[in-house]
Amino acid sequence: MTNGNDDLVRLIDLKKTYFSGPLAVPVLKGLNASIKRGTFVGIIGTSGSGKSTLLNILGMLDVPTSGHYLLEDIDVGSLTDSELAVIRNRKIGFIFQSFNLFPHLTVEQNIEVPMVYARVPAKERRERAVKLAQEVKLGHRLGHRPNQLSGGECQRVAVARALSNRPAFLLADEPTGNLDEKTSGEIMKLFHSLHDTGATIIMVTHNPALEAHFDQVIRLRDGQIEPNLPEVTR
Amino acid sequence: MMLARDLIGMSLHNLLLHKIRSVLTSLGVIFGVGSVIAMLAVSEGAKRKALAQLDALGIDKVIVYSKKPPPEGKNNSNQGVVDSYGLHSRDIANIKRMDNIAGVSVLRDSRCSILRGLVKLDAKLVAVTPDFLTESSSSIIRGRWLAPADFFNSSMVCVIGKNAKRKLFSIGTTNVVGKTVKIDKYRFRIVGELENDLGANYPELGDPNDMIVVPDTTLYKLMQNYSFIMNRRTMAITMVDCDLALIKVKDISYIDDTSKRITAYLNKVHDQQDWGVLVPLDLLKQKESTQNIFTIVMSSIAGISLIVGGIGIMNIMLASVFERRKEIGTRRALGAQKPDILFQFLIETVFLTSIGGILGILTGIGISQLITIYADMPTVYSSWSIVLSLAISSFVGVVFGTYPAWKAAQQNPIEVLRAE
Repeated sequence: MTNGNDDLVRLIDLKKTYFSGPLAVPVLKGLNASIKRGTFVGIIGTSGSGKSTLLNILGMLDVPTSGHYLLEDIDVGSLTDSELAVIRNRKIGFIFQSFNLFPHLTVEQNIEVPMVYARVPAKERRERAVKLAQEVKLGHRLGHRPNQLSGGECQRVAVARALSNRPAFLLADEPTGNLDEKTSGEIMKLFHSLHDTGATIIMVTHNPALEAHFDQVIRLRDGQIEPNLPEVTR
Repeated sequence: MMLARDLIGMSLHNLLLHKIRSVLTSLGVIFGVGSVIAMLAVSEGAKRKALAQLDALGIDKVIVYSKKPPPEGKNNSNQGVVDSYGLHSRDIANIKRMDNIAGVSVLRDSRCSILRGLVKLDAKLVAVTPDFLTESSSSIIRGRWLAPADFFNSSMVCVIGKNAKRKLFSIGTTNVVGKTVKIDKYRFRIVGELENDLGANYPELGDPNDMIVVPDTTLYKLMQNYSFIMNRRTMAITMVDCDLALIKVKDISYIDDTSKRITAYLNKVHDQQDWGVLVPLDLLKQKESTQNIFTIVMSSIAGISLIVGGIGIMNIMLASVFERRKEIGTRRALGAQKPDILFQFLIETVFLTSIGGILGILTGIGISQLITIYADMPTVYSSWSIVLSLAISSFVGVVFGTYPAWKAAQQNPIEVLRAE
């Protein structure tokens, strides 16, 4: 924003190739895309389209073979493992399909985990966790453990956890994949309300039915981005 | 890196989640450390006891004593023959004149049988010089020690050892001071009771607690330097001037030299082996070196059991890393750096082994108490053995926790997140 560039994320000729022995398997074949701040982006693709690989690269769990991934104009490809961990911690809010909550921690403690790695003092952690829990309407469930919660509630805890370090964007991997239709609707509504307050959300899904929710759709097929049809973009 | 306090809290939390598993995992270390503590306590106890016994003889002393020489073939029946052997009063006088001698305390066995009814008791009537009480590190528990006047007047008085008293008087008799005791045809008035709680044991003469001691002048007046031994068939007359001399040197550093000189002198003067020299300090050194070997062997065995325990823990931790792949992956995704994961698992292992160490110390103390109670062996646990066990157990944690922790930190978050 400071340099007048509204792009939060830029992908420039991004390629990822897996090598199994002498065999080179190209998975991402040169992606170019940009995501502006405050957009709700859907990355849609069937299995095998390379969307998981793209998710891992966007989440900085993996690095591209060639090309560039710029997050706030920082080239992620040049960072060390620890630096990547710090950026994951501060800039990205992960939301997983199967929630990935820690079963032995309470709702409050689960929300605190990213802040623990950010060295936030215990008192501030607790205050922020309580506030976030209230924001996702789980203020009354602070002391419960994940096995005492419904699937929708678990995913709301995960959303609160993802928000705890005030990340640059939320990265959701099929967040409604393990939920029934009604709960899915609630979670999507939660994402929309976050979006309305200005959050950038990148959601990876195989489900074309969710397309209508997104500001911007990146459609992956066979490792490449399909050109957008004009009527999809709102 | 996360804060150390959070790291420690997290590791403890994880261990407490699986209390039984944690205890079972550290069982190897518990018994390893327990056996270390117990073995060290037993060996330390045995050492202290042996050292105390030698110490009671006096490490600043050279002990010379008379012993019956091996019989020579031509003269195997000593009937009616005066059997004269051992240290002569002339020898003692010459030794006294040597350099660096601080004092000589002389003991002579009367060789009288001490009877209770018709039963011969395992006690001795021994003539001593006035300094015997201090030189033998004994103490008076009732009455008084032999007074200078008793020696001067050759009084018919005695001081009785506490074991001799128990054997000689009926059960329940506590105070025997003032009573008389009849030995052979002589009657002695008991003026005191002595105790030697260090377990001194003199060659040929035994434990001071088993002695009835009288002034040397008294015994000399009664029977000069003869003693009569009457068996059913034979009557032997034994003539021994001095049975045992406690030779105190001015400084421990003279012990070696003095004992050599005494040995050389006695070798020259005596034409048969009717004497012996005992140097408590030498025995002490021997004892210490054998104890050290014992301790080294024990420590090696304990070390092996700790290695076995450590390998057990490493196994469990590796299994735990595999089992918690998803947790590791999630933590990595949420911003944990490799060192965060490494230290989380390493601290968990060190906690496991340290807690194992603490429980092991308690187990070891328990085992050594049982040994003391049931085997009647003295056990001593020194604070350094406890500190050492704690240090070793946490060291075992570091050594055997590093590989699993490194393994955990190397987990690829993409793969472990996919493995569901």
